[in-house]
Amino acid sequence: MVHLQNVYKTYKNGVNALNDVTIDIKDGEFVYVIGETGSGKSTFIKVLDGEEIPTRGTVEVNGVNVGKLRFSKVPLYRRTLGVVFQDYRLLKKKTVFENIAFALEVINKPRKEIRQRVREVLEIIDLTDKAKSFPDELSGGQQQRVTIGRAIANNPKLLIADEPTGNLDPERSNEILELLEKINASGTTVIMVTHDINLVNKYKKRTIKLETGHVVSDSKEGGYVANV
Amino acid sequence: MFRLIGRHFKEAFQGIFRHFAMALSSANAVTITLVLVSLLTLIVGNVSQITKNLEESIQIYVKIDKEIDEAQIPALQRKVEAIDGVGSVEYSNKDQELDRFIAGKGEGGKIFEIYREDNPLSPAFLVEIKSGYTLSGVSENLSKIQGIKEVEYGGATADDFLRVLTTIRTSGYVIILALTLLAIFLINNTINITIHNRNEEIAIMRQVGASNSYIRQPFVIEGVFIGLMGAVVPALLTIFGYKYVYESLNGQLISGMLTLLPTNPFAYYVAAFLAVIGMVVGLIGSLMSVNKQLRWRR
Ligand SMILES: Nc1ncnc2c1ncn2[C@@H]1O[C@H](COP(=O)(O)OP(=O)(O)OP(=O)(O)O)[C@@H](O)[C@H]1O
Ligand SMILES: [Mg+2]
Repeated sequence: MVHLQNVYKTYKNGVNALNDVTIDIKDGEFVYVIGETGSGKSTFIKVLDGEEIPTRGTVEVNGVNVGKLRFSKVPLYRRTLGVVFQDYRLLKKKTVFENIAFALEVINKPRKEIRQRVREVLEIIDLTDKAKSFPDELSGGQQQRVTIGRAIANNPKLLIADEPTGNLDPERSNEILELLEKINASGTTVIMVTHDINLVNKYKKRTIKLETGHVVSDSKEGGYVANV
Repeated sequence: MFRLIGRHFKEAFQGIFRHFAMALSSANAVTITLVLVSLLTLIVGNVSQITKNLEESIQIYVKIDKEIDEAQIPALQRKVEAIDGVGSVEYSNKDQELDRFIAGKGEGGKIFEIYREDNPLSPAFLVEIKSGYTLSGVSENLSKIQGIKEVEYGGATADDFLRVLTTIRTSGYVIILALTLLAIFLINNTINITIHNRNEEIAIMRQVGASNSYIRQPFVIEGVFIGLMGAVVPALLTIFGYKYVYESLNGQLISGMLTLLPTNPFAYYVAAFLAVIGMVVGLIGSLMSVNKQLRWRR
């Protein structure tokens, strides 16, 4: 599903955010990416979603060579991904329903299909009763569930989350994690960047650790105990 | 396809609605510039017409040497016709010249009939010049021809007048261009702000894979619409204002010497021109903005 081969990313200011990263993630996996601040986690996500071009090496997602993708082809590529960020990025003037529908409207799905899919998504994120609420009327955890709902609306094969629990208390974080597990169980590959070692240790999964842009460990078995 | 267009229009109108005051004020600014454009276009249009009329009506009076006899006239006429800028050439013999002279004197002219026997006048060519040539330039060349005694035309005044008209016309074009650029800038500015206000939405659209054209189009539609809105009042003013002026002047300037272009179709053409300018200005202004603000590189 995701294959990085000797990937380097050097920003214009000379920072080497990724150094010789080689990672292989199979269909249906759930992978954590951890590391200290500035270790290159977000950069890793940016080379995956096509926002940044790797300086060297190849990034392949779902058979697409993302680094070589023509810029006009990026939108179509992105329709096969779901991306979630720490800050929720919901549209304040739209309801929960509309926020999720928005992701489908802007890629020109038929109205009927949108309505049906949004209902399904609301079911998955367990917010059917909040469909008509505005983001301001929701808790942080609920808002993050909406952004996850928006990310999976188009049935992506890969869901990437950059610190989705960064602003949440442990209990809300657990909810988010369980939601991601549910999505993963339905066949979507999930890559989640996190700082939260407790979470990583509670819900044990394959964990990749980055340090100054290098992969320093990749525990296939799951869980992360060493070097805490 | 219709769904797509429908959504774009919806977005565009929502955009206009959301910052209605802003869209309105920029449409107003466009209105003011287009009113000026209209005024100048009306002036330029009439000036062009007047220039053309003048150039067509002014003749160069080319006196022929008395020594030249009738037989040599056709050859001389050919030489005159060969001069750059010479349009039609009409020959007028001594008798015809006397007729013209007597007619020009009015009632009292009859007494000059006594010259009919021993006519002191020279034959002449009446030359009309093609547009784009100056009277003085063509006259100068005509006077160099062997067998031409004298060349006369409305004199420096006519030439100066034509030159003034040309200057008015040229500066009119320049100012119209400048105003058009100003309108483009105004719309460009508005769309920049609209885009800025919708940054969040644009970021999300990018993230979920909305196509680049999908993201751009509402702003372009909005720009064109603002431009068109801005053209409505100037277009109406043009039609009714010009009609009013035309009728109160009886279609003439300086006591009938110069005629104005009739309201129909001239004012309607100018009004349509304003609508087109408005939309083109909106299109260019918003495209510039969209290309700059929404250019997306990796
Ligand atoms: N657009 C950019 N231009 C220049 N340098 C950047 C850019 N983005 C990130 N960096 C630098 O690259 C390095 C890796 O940044 P990155 O955002 O990938 O780290 P991170 O692991 O996500 O950190 P955090 O945990 O704080 O989110 C940092 O040193 C950062 O300053
Ligand atoms: Mg980060």
